[in-house]
Amino acid sequence: MDRRDFIKLTAISGTSATLASCGTPEHQLIRFVPDEDLVPGVAEWKPSVCPACSAGCAVNVRVMDADVDTVRNGQAGVVAMSVAKKLEGLAKDPISQGGLCARGQASIQITYHPDRLTQPMKRSGPRGSGLFTPVSWDEAIAELVSRLDALAAGDQKSLAYITRPRRSRRLALVSEFLRRFGAPAPIAFEVMGDAVVRRANAISFGRHQLPTIDLARSRFVISFGADLLGTWNSPVAQSAAYGVMRQGQTKLRGKLVQIESRMSLTGANADEWVPAKPGTEGVVALGLAHAIVANKLRPAAAGRATAAIEGWSGGLADYAPDRVERITGIPAKRLERLARELAEFRPAVAVVGGAPAAQTNGLFTALAVNALNDLVGAVEQPGGIFFTPGAEPTPAVAQPLQNLSAKVLLVDDANPVFGAPKATKILEALASVPFIASFGSFIDDTSVLADLMLPDHSFLESWVDTTPESGAIEGVKTVAGPVMKPLHQTRATADVLIEVAGKLKSPIALPWKNAEDVAKSAQEQPAVGRRTDVRAMAYAEPNFDGDASQFPFHFLPYKSLQFGDGSTAHLPWLQEMPDPLTSAMWSSWVEINPQTAERLQIAQGDVVEVTSTQGSLRAPAMIFPGIAPDVVAMPVGNGHEVFTRYASGRGANPLAILAPVTDVETGSLAWAATRVKIARAGGDARPLIMFAGELREHPHEGEGR
Amino acid sequence: MPHKWGMAVDLDKCTGCGACVTACHAENNIPIVGPAQAARGRAMHWLRVERYWEGEFPDVRLKFRPVMCQQCDAAPCEPVCPTYASHHTDDGLNAQVYNRCIGTRYCANACPYNVRFFDFFHPQWPKPLHLQLNPDVSVREVGVMEKCTFCVQRIKAAGIDAKAAKRELKDGDVQPACVQSCASRALVFGDLNDPESEVSRISRSPRGGKLLEELGTRPNVTYLERQTQV
Repeated sequence: MDRRDFIKLTAISGTSATLASCGTPEHQLIRFVPDEDLVPGVAEWKPSVCPACSAGCAVNVRVMDADVDTVRNGQAGVVAMSVAKKLEGLAKDPISQGGLCARGQASIQITYHPDRLTQPMKRSGPRGSGLFTPVSWDEAIAELVSRLDALAAGDQKSLAYITRPRRSRRLALVSEFLRRFGAPAPIAFEVMGDAVVRRANAISFGRHQLPTIDLARSRFVISFGADLLGTWNSPVAQSAAYGVMRQGQTKLRGKLVQIESRMSLTGANADEWVPAKPGTEGVVALGLAHAIVANKLRPAAAGRATAAIEGWSGGLADYAPDRVERITGIPAKRLERLARELAEFRPAVAVVGGAPAAQTNGLFTALAVNALNDLVGAVEQPGGIFFTPGAEPTPAVAQPLQNLSAKVLLVDDANPVFGAPKATKILEALASVPFIASFGSFIDDTSVLADLMLPDHSFLESWVDTTPESGAIEGVKTVAGPVMKPLHQTRATADVLIEVAGKLKSPIALPWKNAEDVAKSAQEQPAVGRRTDVRAMAYAEPNFDGDASQFPFHFLPYKSLQFGDGSTAHLPWLQEMPDPLTSAMWSSWVEINPQTAERLQIAQGDVVEVTSTQGSLRAPAMIFPGIAPDVVAMPVGNGHEVFTRYASGRGANPLAILAPVTDVETGSLAWAATRVKIARAGGDARPLIMFAGELREHPHEGEGR
Repeated sequence: MPHKWGMAVDLDKCTGCGACVTACHAENNIPIVGPAQAARGRAMHWLRVERYWEGEFPDVRLKFRPVMCQQCDAAPCEPVCPTYASHHTDDGLNAQVYNRCIGTRYCANACPYNVRFFDFFHPQWPKPLHLQLNPDVSVREVGVMEKCTFCVQRIKAAGIDAKAAKRELKDGDVQPACVQSCASRALVFGDLNDPESEVSRISRSPRGGKLLEELGTRPNVTYLERQTQV
């Protein structure tokens, strides 16, 4: 063959190859005409609200064109669309102030998750099998309407609605829908929530909400278990203020003291980390108050309830430093020094949250810290605590889920099967509900039980709004429109509810036309409660589930930095993000004090069995220097049975083995009041995956490596 | 005068929260490798938060230090590269040209800061996760070494914008993704050739120091030590 023939032949075979590819549809790339005006390669910035926790940070979303796979008239192809590329904090938002935490950054993966529900579905296998068949929106809505109509004849109370905590107008829509239908108010299911702190603030200050802490102007911050830089309340706003407190104040650097039995991210950043026995943190607060009152250290500008404090100064004799030392384990000298600093470094502020409020005496602890704040003049004073005006009211204590006697249950992005202890029999309660519909975007531990899936738009595809409970001294309201068109056949839940309301046999007229209308509507200004009295309760010893001789360790689940309450465990960036305190990725683990581990002959990575009176779990051991010898801790987040390809069956869920003990006064779950025993177990838990190597990066010579 | 890009990290403000780590993934198309490969030490984090435990319970302390490429003036990664993939730019960056890289990994071996990461596999973004990819940053393929660039795409974009507006780049025009995300404002980025820039001012702090400075790498990241009041 000469060169000319070769070229001819190549040309022919090339042509035939081209022709051949025309015959097979998968080789065709159909490019549809875009629905919107796009300038390729030019970024636009649009506001939205981060959905990862209820802090309500406004985000700035970078939007650019991209080719999106789509189907039009049965023909697969791609279409150019404006899509979100990156989330950043919105600089003019008083909450985020331009910053955004890891969970916020990663929440863009909610929209693009490969396992997101793309259309309505009906259960087609046994309950919990995860088998669903796609249905049209018309069918799905007709199904829900007929189920609700069946309740219309006097059984309206059998409709229940569980939602994740929301600070948006959507809650108003849901509440109004339920009220007019004749059903009970929605249940806001908050995992490891702050009901006790809110209740204490309602008693002490007449405000049923979490406080805003004016760290930026504070010189002395004493935190009783509140992980204010990591997972508690409004972490981005608090971290921004913390930066100013440390190195932004013109005169002096603020000091941070953390009282807790397991070092949190906040504890790691504290100048002093003070471990106290679990459940005795309120005694520490009253011990400090006693030292301030007894030594007349109280600043001249003391709180408005001075009289009340003077009144119980007689009672405070019970909290003399030596007695406090016996109860809490904190040396009396250290306590007296801290009291002196608290009184002298002005302004000073005390914060309470997390485990101390999640004991059986949680309300006592929270009220004691409130009284301490009042004593040092920190209430609504610069450098103290404030209550953000205009926040949507938080529903009062949720009714226990196990008493669900509903016939129709609507689940709105809440996951009680994961978040409630097994002992609450939540699974059994849900199994007895004849019809469950879920609005969530994913099949998770709870929605896998649903009969009908009505997937919501992602936050980037819908109208969003928030009135944060805390994080700024002035009131904040953020409303933003969709950042991009919906990727899938999803519908805004607000629109679905409005449509369902209109289609009922006896239609409900709601005052909103659509989701946009809901987001933009003004809220009724909640009546601001009258300031009531700052009082302290007498110390009641904390009760723990499990006998100390049989279950020698306090069990402390904590909200993880990556997954919070577990709702972001399906995001791959967060699974692979090394945990800052341990560098662990893709894992669950049990944190054990080094001496305890040595005594029990448990080495790093050994599989450990943790047993409470309610059950047991297995996870690898993490030798953790910042934990008391009689405490073991586990991060919450992993341990989902069903939650997409990234989180299903990964790790263990510490919430599952909690005992159903409650705070005596408020009835909310005392999630830090369970005792456990631990033992090394051979076994098949997944290995501990860590980004960094040794615990001590530079071992001394002779330590043996 | 050309720019000389540098960073200052105030460890007294840094909380170790890891927002910068995720922001870096989002901006720079850094893939996840999954649990099995992560267990083999192949996870890629151009920026990591190191932790140092000191003391024993109850007097135990934990310190954090975010570590990214230190963009050394005398970078040990550069002279070992046989293909000049790893090289120094006029504005002081240790740049990596991905399509020159042949994957010898000599640079990762030479780097004392452990901030270079090798693509052992083709990165995977199950659809539609790929829609998030930043079109301003190339996706690296198997066999290539990758690293922190100080978000060079943002530096370039800011330069082009300034040029179009017929003005000079001013302090604060460029923020890498990590700096942008940092809630406590522990990270500051800017031009070290401008003595008035915030990063120059902060880098002159008496608390300032360089990581492994004694190796003679002349890093362009300054760490301001954490303070403690007891």
